[in-house]
Amino acid sequence: MTSKRTMFLFTLPALIVLGVFFVYPIVLTVQMSFTNFTGVGQADPVGLANYERIVSRDRYPAALWVTVKFTTVVVLIQTMAGLFFAAMLHRLPAIRNLCRAALFTPAMMSFVVVGYVWQFIYSPFSGGLNAALTQVGLEGWTRGWLGDPDTALLAIAFAHVWMFTGYTTAIFLAGYANIPAEIEEAGRLDNASSWQRFRYLEVPLLAPSFTINIMLSTIGTLKTFELPFIMTRGGPDGATRTLSLEIIGQLFGKYRFGFASSLSIVMLVIVIAVAVFQNWYLRRREDVS
Amino acid sequence: MKTTIPRAFGMAAMAACLAAPVLAQSVTLDVTAWKGNEAEPAGLAELIEKFEGEHPDIAVELSYIGRLDTDTVIPPRLQGGDPPDVMMTDMPLVEIWGDAGLLADLGKDSEWWGRIPADLQSALESGDATYIMPLEVIGMGNFVNMGLLKKVGIEEAPTTIEELKETCGALADAEINPMIFTGGFSAPLLLIANGLEGSDDAAAALGSGDASFAENAAFDAGVDLIRALEEARCFDGRQQAGLDPWSTALSEFTGGNFAMMPQGAWNIGAFREIEGLDFVFAPLPSARDSGVALDLFGIGWSVASASENREAAQTFVEWFAKPENLQVMLDAESAYSPFDDGASGTPEQARPYDEARAAGGVINYPFALLQWPKSLEGEIWDSMTGFLLDTSARTNEDLLSRWDEAVEDDF
Repeated sequence: MTSKRTMFLFTLPALIVLGVFFVYPIVLTVQMSFTNFTGVGQADPVGLANYERIVSRDRYPAALWVTVKFTTVVVLIQTMAGLFFAAMLHRLPAIRNLCRAALFTPAMMSFVVVGYVWQFIYSPFSGGLNAALTQVGLEGWTRGWLGDPDTALLAIAFAHVWMFTGYTTAIFLAGYANIPAEIEEAGRLDNASSWQRFRYLEVPLLAPSFTINIMLSTIGTLKTFELPFIMTRGGPDGATRTLSLEIIGQLFGKYRFGFASSLSIVMLVIVIAVAVFQNWYLRRREDVS
Repeated sequence: MKTTIPRAFGMAAMAACLAAPVLAQSVTLDVTAWKGNEAEPAGLAELIEKFEGEHPDIAVELSYIGRLDTDTVIPPRLQGGDPPDVMMTDMPLVEIWGDAGLLADLGKDSEWWGRIPADLQSALESGDATYIMPLEVIGMGNFVNMGLLKKVGIEEAPTTIEELKETCGALADAEINPMIFTGGFSAPLLLIANGLEGSDDAAAALGSGDASFAENAAFDAGVDLIRALEEARCFDGRQQAGLDPWSTALSEFTGGNFAMMPQGAWNIGAFREIEGLDFVFAPLPSARDSGVALDLFGIGWSVASASENREAAQTFVEWFAKPENLQVMLDAESAYSPFDDGASGTPEQARPYDEARAAGGVINYPFALLQWPKSLEGEIWDSMTGFLLDTSARTNEDLLSRWDEAVEDDF
């Protein structure tokens, strides 16, 4: 009995911190989502009007769809790129540390700097990408990358992947470090080629790294607003308007704190649902591996 | 020595007694503004020094808080009972904070209120109250690179649509990009100016849903005008629709890559510092000979209702309304006075815009006066971007009905 009380007392500080800084704000946001609060003054209850508005207007499901597309592209490409670099660097120990640091550098840069740099690279007039394409004879491919709805989201996704691939690589390299040397040695003794060792030994054994990478990048990307905000402000014509960007716009452009709260709750539910599903699926995959 | 020390104490005591009433009266005003920093000094440092010189009993402590940060930093202070005494505000803030009872009514019996033109007066009223003392009006018009125009033999910035088309044609023939025309901000300025100029419906009626954009002949003609300008080779919609009007567009214009760009006069100061950039700030071309001077009511001072220094705050606000003081800010901002004295601080480059104002070509930007809801502005920018990407695939009604829906959606 004493032991239980002691355990409870020890966990109490953590519970208080969780309650005050995590649970209470969420409860407050839920409460606010049923009001027309403008940020100051009286918040009048509006029932389910905010949620009804989310489902009855095309604008908000469209923002959700943009978020889903952006997340899918980023998570897929970033995970594959991270795995590729990690596999390469695992085989090239002489340059591993140098390359790991180089790959990780963009992740340490400010979103603002990265956003502006890529904005100029993508510029249709004097941008580096169009200049490079012209130099190699691909002038027909040049375009306003951020001004075209067909390419804007992909262009931002590429900048995002460039920024965080080093992060993913570092996690995969940590996973490689945990693969017992005997297993690789056994593969070599069985005359398995480099590709076969990668496909049948390393990939299954990197399952925990996949779980961490996919979970972190999915949650981070679902919530992202920085690069779309800096590079396109959600344009052209909403092609890069993610749910987070919509929330920011409702909060500080239109002072609809109540409505923005309802959008935040929708986003929270989606993030939790995706995270729980991914965790269940990827953990199961780890067990199979 | 014996007599010196008691005498010194006596004199000090006397000095303290004399100073006591002054100290009791002196107040320190807590003032916040999104101008007054290095990037946008707005003459505030000079003005505050002058104010303190004329009012030795009032000290001013100015805190720079960016416009976006104002949304997050000030409300907790206003609601927490620790507000700044005086705050820089604009009409969207006045609407929210004033309605919540957080701003003091500045009244209509002051000298400066009587000097505000009637149309602006009615826009600044919040019911029976007045929560803002206006400081400046800034123009939004057409920046024209005269160096490029002179290369094709054109000496004056275009102010009519026909002149604009001719200018575009001459520039395009000479392989000079005529106009940077972004779907966000630039293109909407031209359409709004031309739509409101010809509209039979008042701006407020369109913004409240009492009148419809889609059924408004002037806005319908305005959309046709955009198509006509594209045909006249003024711009390449698909290429420019999604450009960022706040970074890429500015750098392209200042780099001399484009001859014209609809934008705001707040850029004049920065553009003047660019060596070799020969430009003027002209009105937006329209059906009228003068063109449209699209005026943006920008900023003003408001006093917190919970301010403990209301009297001093009121003194500070009223002091800024004096023409000789306001002029310092107008000069620094290249802005116009919101009062009826016609004062301005615009440089020679803005002469074409000044002339359009003098000729009566002024239209107030409806968002700044809350005639149109804020959510409509974003929708206009988005829909214009979509329209410019393929002007032939979208009808006028496709575009303008989105504006009506945004008005209807505002609750």
